[in-house]
Amino acid sequence: MLDAIISTRELLGRVDELLRTQRVIGPVRRDVPDATPPVRWFYEPVSSARQLDLGFAYCVYSPKQYLLPPRETLLEFHRTPDGFSARPVSDAQPTALIGVHPCDLHALVTLDRAFSHNGDDEHYQARRRRLLIVGVDCGKPCTPGVYCADMRANVADEGFDVMLQPLGAGADVERFGVRFGSPRGRAWLEAGGGCERPTAADERAADAWQERKEASFGRTLTTAHEDLPAMMARSYDSLIWEATARRCYSCGSCNLVCPTCYCFDVHDELDLSLQEGRRCREWDGCQLQDFALVAGGHNFRSKAAARLRHRLMRKSKWIGERTGGKGCVGCARCDRACTARISTVEIYNQLAEEV
Amino acid sequence: MKPRIAIFSLTSCEGCSLAILELENELLDLLGAVEIVNFREGMTERSWDIDVGFVDGAVSTPEDEREVTRYRACCKTLVAIGACACLGGVNTLKNRQEMESYRTYVYGERARWFPTTDARPISAVVKVDYELPGCPMNNREFLRLVKCLLAGVPFALPNYAVCVECKKAGNLCLYERGQMCLGPVTRAGCNAICPHYGSKCEACRGLLGAEALAAARLNMREIWKVDEERVLADLRLYGAYQGDGSKP
Amino acid sequence: MPRESVLEAGPVADIGAMAASPYLPEAARVLSVRSLTAMERLFDLEFADGRALGHAPGQFVQVSLLGIGECPISICSSPTRPQRFQLCIRKAGVVTAALHALRGGDMVGIRGPLGRGFDVSELHGKDVLIVAGGLGLAPARSLIQYVIDERARFGAFHLLYGAKHPSELLFREDLHAWRDDPAVDFHMTVDRPDEGWRGRVGVVTTLFRELPPLDPQRTVVAVIGPPVMFKFVLLEVLARRIPQGRVYCSLERRMKCGVGKCGHCQANDVYVCQEGPVFTYGRLKALREAIE
Ligand SMILES: Cc1cc2nc3c(=O)[nH]c(=O)nc-3n(C[C@H](O)[C@H](O)[C@H](O)COP(=O)(O)OP(=O)(O)OC[C@H]3O[C@@H](n4cnc5c(N)ncnc54)[C@H](O)[C@@H]3O)c2cc1C
Ligand code: SF4
Ligand code: SF4
Ligand code: FES
Repeated sequence: MLDAIISTRELLGRVDELLRTQRVIGPVRRDVPDATPPVRWFYEPVSSARQLDLGFAYCVYSPKQYLLPPRETLLEFHRTPDGFSARPVSDAQPTALIGVHPCDLHALVTLDRAFSHNGDDEHYQARRRRLLIVGVDCGKPCTPGVYCADMRANVADEGFDVMLQPLGAGADVERFGVRFGSPRGRAWLEAGGGCERPTAADERAADAWQERKEASFGRTLTTAHEDLPAMMARSYDSLIWEATARRCYSCGSCNLVCPTCYCFDVHDELDLSLQEGRRCREWDGCQLQDFALVAGGHNFRSKAAARLRHRLMRKSKWIGERTGGKGCVGCARCDRACTARISTVEIYNQLAEEV
Repeated sequence: MKPRIAIFSLTSCEGCSLAILELENELLDLLGAVEIVNFREGMTERSWDIDVGFVDGAVSTPEDEREVTRYRACCKTLVAIGACACLGGVNTLKNRQEMESYRTYVYGERARWFPTTDARPISAVVKVDYELPGCPMNNREFLRLVKCLLAGVPFALPNYAVCVECKKAGNLCLYERGQMCLGPVTRAGCNAICPHYGSKCEACRGLLGAEALAAARLNMREIWKVDEERVLADLRLYGAYQGDGSKP
Repeated sequence: MPRESVLEAGPVADIGAMAASPYLPEAARVLSVRSLTAMERLFDLEFADGRALGHAPGQFVQVSLLGIGECPISICSSPTRPQRFQLCIRKAGVVTAALHALRGGDMVGIRGPLGRGFDVSELHGKDVLIVAGGLGLAPARSLIQYVIDERARFGAFHLLYGAKHPSELLFREDLHAWRDDPAVDFHMTVDRPDEGWRGRVGVVTTLFRELPPLDPQRTVVAVIGPPVMFKFVLLEVLARRIPQGRVYCSLERRMKCGVGKCGHCQANDVYVCQEGPVFTYGRLKALREAIE
């Protein structure tokens, strides 16, 4: 069921309206002549709605960076001869994220839960509270190798303030079907007066569009989604871990590009005066060699195989169990980022063959 | 008492010393926090009672050997800066040629006036307390080391690959652009500056470890179907000598 | 390409204060510092605003020296002695070395109490056996003091302690007091004696011979020490038919946030900083990474 219809022109007008008061982030197209295909998209701040490319395939990095930046200051402190003063800080600013595909919407839900599970992380929540999320549905697999449908993440019913569904085909979509996910989203979009009531024909067109979409997704994963955690539990001692780890650089790229990986490191920085400083957090990854290293040199996960297993267990089982969100949304960013061409879904399938 | 700091150059382009002068925003604060006593690029007055000595350049002549031994003797803490001082650097290209031929090539008739040896990192000759690799070294990392020394806490290089910083910087991986980047096997600390500007990493900060190198050999052969030796030859450009003493 | 790098974006323009943060340490004053051994020092602390820490035995705090870093340390005093709290810190790396340089009057940052300690109400009315090895005596001591201070609420109280060498014995004054306390059945041993040593020699498990027969129906056991010790003590305990749900132990892991977010402390799917560090063996044995 659609809540409204809006024309592309009206929609972009609403985005330009947002730009008067806040930062707008969305998919921006970049030419990369030496890549195949010679174009990529990145979530970046825009200064005009026209810079957004809502027909994008996929963004190289997920929108995670706007909620959990690669690096952020948690505390500013001042050291004195007889003590210290410290205050928590945030650079959170009102931001609209325009153009998020269902997979990334699912991932944002996971992050929301991880950073509120058993106590809020105020630094995350400060950003989250100021974030308006506008999803846009994808009509077909954005690129070969994705397994979002296997992960039940190619359709999203939550995680957005507004969800847009392109109506009609072709590159130049002129109208979007709209679903509202929050009063905030509704208020923003309706304020321009450009929302129309969906007609019966619109509903039919939207349903047909969804059917075409569903039919366009194949399946890659050989294990049914609901059986994946149990299959993974049985594969704990598989040789596949060690065999695959021989190729693993422990470079952590797979962690860092993953939209649901949220582990971080904390460290202090001092100015040259040694009086002023900051406590910062930075993205970390469980594939990195020192992730579980403690003083004295003991490493609780010293082998690349144990780290690889840990990551995939988190993706397929543990994050889901802990947060109720999805640990893996099938976006295949890890597979694309891996210069050893280690593929998460391929590992799932190899393990399934064994156990 | 401000720590007394000196900066020395052996056989090098002195780019690492210049990188310090390029710390424009922090240079004044730095000069406020330390006393610079012996710095050929920056000043002329010399003094020989030194808390921290930074040395760039490889040891490549008998004269270098004598000099670096002297630096060691007069510096409480000795820091090797740059790929030459830490890994041998590009100077080591000469190690793979006949000594007589390159001496004559460089110095012609007067070659016998210029004795030379294999180019080696400083640690091959004297004990080194810290190393800041890179060609040139990263001056932010230099600053971090200085702060650690001032605060009296140990300094450590990042123990992860360049890819980590490359990802944090939001770059498109060069493998997606058909380049065999050495980021996955190279120690981070440069903010992935080369990949950021579109050129592949050439491992000027040295290898991350034997495991990553073994993975690289396997992947080059089996996944990328390229001549592993040719790709790994890049490693030797800056890093003929690696931290663990191995020669890749 | 090239694009504006996130890392090179420079200082953030309008950084603003926040009302609260789980990462903000509170100021605590170091009242005194005492050397226990060459490697361990005992710190007496109190919050600048005078409030009690309000912990359970077995919990830990994150200790901060701003500009140097933060690290997790068990609370080694009992909540029954609330005026101040104590930490026993081994010099092991960057932060702990800097902590060792502190003097009385200095300030540190404290976050906590964190994690889950012993559920003492579960222990009330039971016979208690505590087995501590090495630095494990520090976290164990919060429970030992608790049992001594609330002695009437417990049945028999057995305490076994093993150290590598006499020079590594912690809390010497306490050891004497426990030995002389008729309400504590206390035994200790060292792996390697020196000339002056008159006590027992051998690993901690040899002390089980000193114990009277345990009543499996009413005994709870806490095992706190290095991982190697854990398995051997466990065998002794399980051989005496103590149920797995009444054997407690404390896990160590790398920790950064202490509040279940950063991921560093995980043993398989379990966040040790939140669900632990104290676990029952019944729970632990499902964690392959905890017992490997
Ligand atoms: C729950 C718990 C209770 C502990 N209780 C005590 C105690 O009572 N007394 C004591 O002396 N030690 C205790 N430790 C160990 C203590 O935390 C480490 O020795 C300390 O973190 C080393 O920090 P560092 O900065 O000196 O060492 P570095 O090697 O420089 O470590 C850098 C950082 O890594 C992390 N880290 C390193 N080692 C450990 C480790 N073993 N555990 C957790 N994080 C680590 C910390 O964040 C640390 O600041 C405890 C650890 C845990 C997990
Ligand atoms: S991206 Fe690939 S090589 Fe790097 S840590 Fe992940 S699996 Fe290993
Ligand atoms: S460009 Fe190089 S450093 Fe960057 S992610 Fe790719 S392989 Fe790693
Ligand atoms: S220490 Fe960060 S999750 Fe436990």
